[in-house]
Amino acid sequence: MNIEEITLILPNKIGIERVARECSSSYAKILGFEASKIEDIKTAVTEACLNAIEHGNRGDIKAKVSVNMGFDGRGLIISVRDEGKGILHKVKKPNIDYKIKGLEKIRGFGIFLIENLMDKVSFEKSDENGHIVKMVKYLE
Amino acid sequence: MNKENQIFLRKEGDIIIVDIKGDITAQSEPFIFNAYQKIEDFEKILFNFDESAYINSGGIAIIIFILAKASKKNQVIYMSGLSDHFKKIFHMVGITKYSKIYSTELEALKDF
Repeated sequence: MNIEEITLILPNKIGIERVARECSSSYAKILGFEASKIEDIKTAVTEACLNAIEHGNRGDIKAKVSVNMGFDGRGLIISVRDEGKGILHKVKKPNIDYKIKGLEKIRGFGIFLIENLMDKVSFEKSDENGHIVKMVKYLE
Repeated sequence: MNKENQIFLRKEGDIIIVDIKGDITAQSEPFIFNAYQKIEDFEKILFNFDESAYINSGGIAIIIFILAKASKKNQVIYMSGLSDHFKKIFHMVGITKYSKIYSTELEALKDF
């Protein structure tokens, strides 16, 4: 099926990531992704949106989160853009033992999940305001 | 925007089963912490999730926080009911080092 690129402009509110999650699921399903890959995409999109809302836009209710989805013939390309500082640096791999022992903060799995569930991930500065997390999941 | 979790506690011998209905996100924190406070004296605990539950990194953090508390009290926490995707995620983040995960409640209960 020939499918157009789509963009969602979401308010910066916790919970709204569900809209992007369900949209990415429908989009991936139309493209013919297998069920387990769709679940990976849903989790990655959720975490990228949560990062944009909480860390990128720092909870600013006036800010927006833009989610763009497209297909290049090989893979589903998803970009999540915030209007704030975003995350450009490499985040340390979370360590469960340290977290259990109280030596590392409990949260901090978002980037780890995105990087492990998607085939390609990059963190870029947007030409406009903000930063972009760009993720690719290949069909095959 | 997050529906409240419904949490039910049941006993099966010396095991306490915590049925958690609904998605597990950062907004689940008060519901899960409140339930855990009621069962802090039990040694064997089974968290039984909804297979359709959506769990994000905020929810994973709450589960790890409970596992950290449980490890200090020498409690054994097993989990059941998770979808294959979240079994994979829990393995990926290392939760399976601290909690065995079973497909069904019955399998978990047999193994305590």
